[in-house]
Amino acid sequence: MAELRGSSGDANGNVLTRHFGTADLHRIDVYESKGGYTALRKALLEMEPAAITNEVKTSGLRGRGGAGFATGVKWSFIKRDTPEPKYVVVNADESEPGTAKDRYILENCPHMVLEGIMIAAYAVGANQAWVYIRGEYDEPYRMLLEAIGEAREKGYLGPTPMGKDFPLDVRVYRGHGAYICGEETALLESLEGKRAQPRSRPPFPAVKGAWGRPTLLNNVETLATVPSIINMGGAEYAKLGTEKSPGTRLLTVSGNVKRPGVYEVELGATFRHVIMELAGGPPDGRKVKVFWPGGSSAPVLPASMLDTTTDMEALAAAKSMGGSGGVIVMDDSHCVVRAAHRLLQFYAHESCGKCTPCRIGGDWAVRMYERILANEGSQVELDNLRRVSDALQNGRCLCGLGDSAGWVIDSTFRHFYSEYEDHALRHECNVGKVAARA
Amino acid sequence: MRSGTSATSARWRRVPDVNLTIDGHKVTVPGGTLIVEAAKTVGIEIPVFCYHHKLDPVGACRLCLVDIAPGPPRPQTACTTPVAEGMVIKTQSAMAVQARAEILEFELVNHPLDCPVCDKGGECPLQDFTFRHGYPISRIDGPRLHFKKPIPLSPNIALDRERCVLCYRCTRYYDEIAWEQELTTDQRGVQSFITSQFDQPLQSIFSGNIIDLCPVGALTSRVWRFESRPWDMTHTASVCSKCSVGCSVTLWQRRGQLVRVTSHENDEIDEGWICDRGRFDYTDVNDPKRLRTPLVKGSRSTWSSALVELAAGIKGKGSKLGISLPQDLTNEEAFLFRRLLDGPLNGAKVKMHGRTALPAPAAGDGMRIKDIDDARVIVVVASDTEKDAPIVNLRIKKAVSKRGAKLIVVHPEGVDLDRHPGTVHVRHAAGGAAAEVRKLESHDLLKNPTGPVAILFGDGRGGEDAGELASACADLASRVGGKTMALYRGTNERGALAAGVAGWDSLDGVEALLSWGPPPTAGIPKSVRFLAAWDHLPRSEWDGAAVVLPATTFAEQQGSYTNVEGRVQFLRPPIPVQQPLRESWEVLQELASALGLELAYAGIAAIQREMALTTPDPTPAPQPVLIGPAHP
Amino acid sequence: MSALSQHVLDEIKELPARFPQPRSAVMPALDLAQEELGHLTPEAMTEVAAALNLDAGYVEGVATFYSLFHLQPVGKHHFYICTNLSCMLRGSEAVVRRFKELTGVKEPGEISADGMFSYHEVECLGACEYAPMLRLDHRYHYDLSPARIDSIVNDCRLPRPYQKIASPPRGEAAAAPTKPRAPRKKKTVDG
Repeated sequence: MAELRGSSGDANGNVLTRHFGTADLHRIDVYESKGGYTALRKALLEMEPAAITNEVKTSGLRGRGGAGFATGVKWSFIKRDTPEPKYVVVNADESEPGTAKDRYILENCPHMVLEGIMIAAYAVGANQAWVYIRGEYDEPYRMLLEAIGEAREKGYLGPTPMGKDFPLDVRVYRGHGAYICGEETALLESLEGKRAQPRSRPPFPAVKGAWGRPTLLNNVETLATVPSIINMGGAEYAKLGTEKSPGTRLLTVSGNVKRPGVYEVELGATFRHVIMELAGGPPDGRKVKVFWPGGSSAPVLPASMLDTTTDMEALAAAKSMGGSGGVIVMDDSHCVVRAAHRLLQFYAHESCGKCTPCRIGGDWAVRMYERILANEGSQVELDNLRRVSDALQNGRCLCGLGDSAGWVIDSTFRHFYSEYEDHALRHECNVGKVAARA
Repeated sequence: MRSGTSATSARWRRVPDVNLTIDGHKVTVPGGTLIVEAAKTVGIEIPVFCYHHKLDPVGACRLCLVDIAPGPPRPQTACTTPVAEGMVIKTQSAMAVQARAEILEFELVNHPLDCPVCDKGGECPLQDFTFRHGYPISRIDGPRLHFKKPIPLSPNIALDRERCVLCYRCTRYYDEIAWEQELTTDQRGVQSFITSQFDQPLQSIFSGNIIDLCPVGALTSRVWRFESRPWDMTHTASVCSKCSVGCSVTLWQRRGQLVRVTSHENDEIDEGWICDRGRFDYTDVNDPKRLRTPLVKGSRSTWSSALVELAAGIKGKGSKLGISLPQDLTNEEAFLFRRLLDGPLNGAKVKMHGRTALPAPAAGDGMRIKDIDDARVIVVVASDTEKDAPIVNLRIKKAVSKRGAKLIVVHPEGVDLDRHPGTVHVRHAAGGAAAEVRKLESHDLLKNPTGPVAILFGDGRGGEDAGELASACADLASRVGGKTMALYRGTNERGALAAGVAGWDSLDGVEALLSWGPPPTAGIPKSVRFLAAWDHLPRSEWDGAAVVLPATTFAEQQGSYTNVEGRVQFLRPPIPVQQPLRESWEVLQELASALGLELAYAGIAAIQREMALTTPDPTPAPQPVLIGPAHP
Repeated sequence: MSALSQHVLDEIKELPARFPQPRSAVMPALDLAQEELGHLTPEAMTEVAAALNLDAGYVEGVATFYSLFHLQPVGKHHFYICTNLSCMLRGSEAVVRRFKELTGVKEPGEISADGMFSYHEVECLGACEYAPMLRLDHRYHYDLSPARIDSIVNDCRLPRPYQKIASPPRGEAAAAPTKPRAPRKKKTVDG
């Protein structure tokens, strides 16, 4: 495995990554020697399912996949005592540009995820969990399979985990290269062997999810946090972070910084701390120009907003969002228009094609960008871009992918309209170094 | 089991009504109704592409965006949102109007705008919606996506990918309704396109429905291609004559030619689907080689001399006379023909085309096609329904995949109903169906069915003892609380059975043969000395015929059919019978006269009245006429 | 002559039973087919469909939706080079350029004259702290630079290239709940 880049050890109040860096942490005996599976034992043998859900509610944990929905509340949507089969589906289809935290967890400590899955499954009454992992994650997939094997040998997975009469099984399903599978209903379609096109809601997965059954969908990091919450107690966990965004989360800092990595921070820390201190700031002689605070889908913030804090409320106030925690930093040697073009290419390429605005709008926007960057632009292109951006947002699209594409245009317009004007009207780029695809 | 929640009463269960307001109109509809449907009840159009009332809503095209209060401050899809008490819906708020106009603009970004050469022009929702809901001025410039066009999807259907708006109605229909996936979407995002599997021609007998479903000019009929404009035709609702199901169809006429056949939604029978036989198999009506004058020994003749000649050839032949009947013989023709058989042609051997070995329906309340919807268990015996009764096959599929019915198939070979993973297929040696049916009573699924059981049986294409099978199915039905339906194949087999003319005799050894409709399936027996034909097309078989009479087709003649469930339906011909062609009832009456039997009916109505008075119907008289409501 | 060998078809036929509904088996089945053939031909997809009691169109629709299924042949070593924002900001463009120079490949999807190399520019592969990066033969390669591409390509060209890591074990994922862990399977490609 490559050298660890990011948080590890128990300095800085790490919760998730406290034991990362320990040799062979991915082995079950090492994990257990660090206190692993005590939360599962406690949950299965000492707690009522409803109490587990309540503990998670108390912790205030919010989904770490992107939407930030309250995890405990989501668990409570599943009616536990119905006879029909229920599923826990784990979203390990991490593909948000600039995000690597789930891979970081799975490579370092797959058992922590497994433990979280098992606790969640018990809490919602699911005997079967599926991990939908993106197909490109070969190493995490291998490690997860080994971890499942170890857990089965230990009897943690099986007919009577820890002696409790509650059969539990975890299986893994590999994705095959589609960003849209990170959207929960598209993921379910894919798991069912279909083209991954999001479903119209309602019905929500908690009522009709995988194979038409009630399904709890959670992100890897969310579930990896659950053992800590059970161990330390929800109230204790809630003391971390801010009041409305409690706890810690993993931020993947990438792009133009000296020490890119996956850093665990307490929510409420400023992006200045994350980017300038943890990640070492931009290369010498460069200045931060813009950063994406939560993956490419989160509206951009200019360097002047580095003091924004990482909690969701502060980001919402800044007209952005916490998203997947992928912090992409761009310095002043790069052009915002080109970066936006690259992201629009991404959204157009990954549009599933189901709904009209996203299918057509993304592609149309790319063509506008191409004209602008080929010095064929004019006010028409700028106006059209703004219109496409409007027509992609606010309920026009079936899922969030279209909105995200719209936000890229919208937020770069908001903060960097003059760069667009330079390109489109004056046919010049105010950045000396050109960095975009050939 | 009298509780109101049992599945038996599902169809009748009262759903509490919901009150809401749409554009200021007070609307009351049953709970669960989608907004788009609720709006229809007060005549408000919410434009849709992907939504179709017979397909599951998907919310893909986003054209139906409306303003819903209470709700988030953004437009929502009317096609996926059910009504709720007190909802206030605005289709004309600035937000909703703008949202729809933007979607329409997107639909036109890559559209070729080749309306002048598009067969859909004039009946195209994309055209209509753009006029009614789109921006008046196009702001689109720049190159459009191009695809090769048009692509033949099959000999009958052309696909133009540039016109396609990817509403997925066609592929959803294929998967949801027909349980087939030979039509699919390739690639993703803006690159997506509709295709047949690996560009092979579509094989399904249900493929043509995608033409009716397509809201743009992407899927068009190659049979009708460039034939006429929609506004240049007149159309008539009629009944399909190709099989015993009797689907409602719309027949389109232009200048005395039948130019198009489309579906005509009738929820009692076809739910708006027709099979490709019904849709595309009509060009013989317009065949320039159509027989129009009677022929005697190959030369043109008059009706009276031809009928005298015919009468002379078949009179008094007794069992030496053979008569082949077409499967789409009308009830009126059958009635007159019965009079001939009872009189001058007594003793003749009769063989009907397409006749199954099934006996006439037993007395009692038989099952209706619509009853299949409510069945909890469906048993299909000795029939490949896809071929025997195509649209009944779709109804079975609907009951299974949309309404959760369990399906048991008893058949020696694989059938298309096996496509559902839940289908229980009981295979047996040919001839053993009745014995298998008698064992079914103890089958797990039938031990305690939670609702009605539907038992449909065919004759195994001659491989089963049909009488024995019918009684085995009737016994099973009485034991498990079900109803049976015999799957007759011949278009009016059931009517002919009721009239007692649905002969099943061998024609071997007859000396005189009257072949009404196409020649006998087994060929013309060698023993025939006198051959007469009554057909609408010249055929090599008629080369040596003594008499050839020209016949009318389903597009010209009047009369009625009794369908597989016993429903009497009347043809409404779009094309008049033009001289020298004559109505068949007239011809039969003159033939009777030439044979010495005087029938004096002043018109087809007189025949129908007498039929109603004299023909005992073994089943309670079904409601006649039955053209369903026009397509919404 | 069928496109897929019998043991692969047998394995595919066992897949549906492992899922609550049989259609879920389509992608694992296509994996097996692609593993044997290198890419998915219409014949192979038709055989997969038949083995799963589906129409070929369904399989075609799924296979063309997902980026990891190859519908055209690829080189012996197929490079998935990330060019999304995080990698772009750290020089993925130069990496792609160097790869093209070294191998003579001009377009994504094209195979080099010696049949060894092909590439696709792909979206974020989720290893942004090591950007720029690529995926090759079921392994990630980090901290790329034109020089690193030189050495990776040269490694591939060695008569005995670096130990190619076998594709991850399969069958494991869907093993019965109580079944002990299946031994890791050897790669089953013939020859």
